[in-house]
Amino acid sequence: MTALMPADRLPLDERIAAVTSDLDALLRRVAKRDVEAFAAFYDHTRARVFGLVTRVLRDPGYSEETTQDIYLQVWRSAESYDRGAGSPMAWLLTLAHRRAVDRVRSEQAASLRDSRYAAANLDPPVDQVAEAVIVLDERRQVVDCLGALTDMQRECIELAYYQGLTYVEVSERLSTNLATIKSRMRDALRGLRNCLGVQ
Amino acid sequence: MTHPTDAELVALATPYALHALPDDELAEIERWVAEAPAEVAEAFSDEVRSVRETMAALSASTAVEPPAELRDRLLAAVASEPVQLSSRRERRASRWRSVVLAAAAAVVVGLAAVGIGVALRSHATPSTADQVFAAPDVRTVSGDIPTGGTATVVFSHEKHAGVLVMNNVAPPSPGTVYQMWLINGQSVTSAGTMDAKRVSPSTTAVLSNIGDSTELAFTVEPGSGSTHPTGQVFAKLSLI
Repeated sequence: MTALMPADRLPLDERIAAVTSDLDALLRRVAKRDVEAFAAFYDHTRARVFGLVTRVLRDPGYSEETTQDIYLQVWRSAESYDRGAGSPMAWLLTLAHRRAVDRVRSEQAASLRDSRYAAANLDPPVDQVAEAVIVLDERRQVVDCLGALTDMQRECIELAYYQGLTYVEVSERLSTNLATIKSRMRDALRGLRNCLGVQ
Repeated sequence: MTHPTDAELVALATPYALHALPDDELAEIERWVAEAPAEVAEAFSDEVRSVRETMAALSASTAVEPPAELRDRLLAAVASEPVQLSSRRERRASRWRSVVLAAAAAVVVGLAAVGIGVALRSHATPSTADQVFAAPDVRTVSGDIPTGGTATVVFSHEKHAGVLVMNNVAPPSPGTVYQMWLINGQSVTSAGTMDAKRVSPSTTAVLSNIGDSTELAFTVEPGSGSTHPTGQVFAKLSLI
């Protein structure tokens, strides 16, 4: 019986649905300034947020500061989360990515804009994850889906999403016209979406 | 940028959702979407939603645990946050909430019992906690409580203040309280008490007068606390 299966044995989409409803309930309480709910929300999501921010900023100090800013924004604006516009995780990571990208763009420091960073380097650090929500097969599925993209599609995601370049900058960097870059991005996202079964 | 066709506009939804549009195009594109026919705007927002859900799923591949101190700093910062809401009705609600928040925090540390040191943030800006976090000499110390749980103090001698965070600390036995003491050489000053009801899974208090204290010590005291420590020190944190 599905309901009696441990969370890590549920199919991926059902597991995501369960996480979504938990996070949704927590966010409603955070909107009422419930500190315990906030702590629980942080515990359920911290590795994803910190991991993404670190991936974009590549500096532990900046990443901690930015992660703190992100969660303060969650505390201040949980009531602005719109259930109709997407899942709580998507809301949170959109906010986190926006903050991280703003930080990258405002930092002129060369260390943060290291263009020599290998574009194909999307492999995750496998050993540092202890977050209960993330189970290994989910990670494996995501990595497999990234692996199924073409090199050029992965490069586009790397530069635009993880290095914070605009599509215009990506086009300059790769000496490729804007229309091609836009369609490469769209195809990359479509491939990932289909592979991951995202609605 | 010249006005795109409907199809070109929808094609911009992907870089829009990835935060990959140049700032100078962003406002313009948002305006075009707002002015576009309903089905175009809907196609645009469907694509944005779908890209965001996809990237949320993708975040499983980059997950990394943050340092544990970040949680303590964040909970301390949240406990000292003024609540800001916009409309008048909400502003009234926010004042009420702040009062409740401050009251909830105030019971953590028995203000009346001790008469020194513990001030909880209400509306003063910037708060003591904000000043501590922003201080050039800000430091964090953390230690395990032998009976379970952890105590963390984020402090600044320059600001003479600290923020205490207690996580998962077991309540004291009935008829006793935990009492905190600031130690400076021979001088020992009470920094507040916590009874069983006041030890919740996570509690926070601002220590507003740490002065030149070198240690924060914890004892078990009878009744509602003592003027000088009578119990054994069961935990202490260095403030040097």
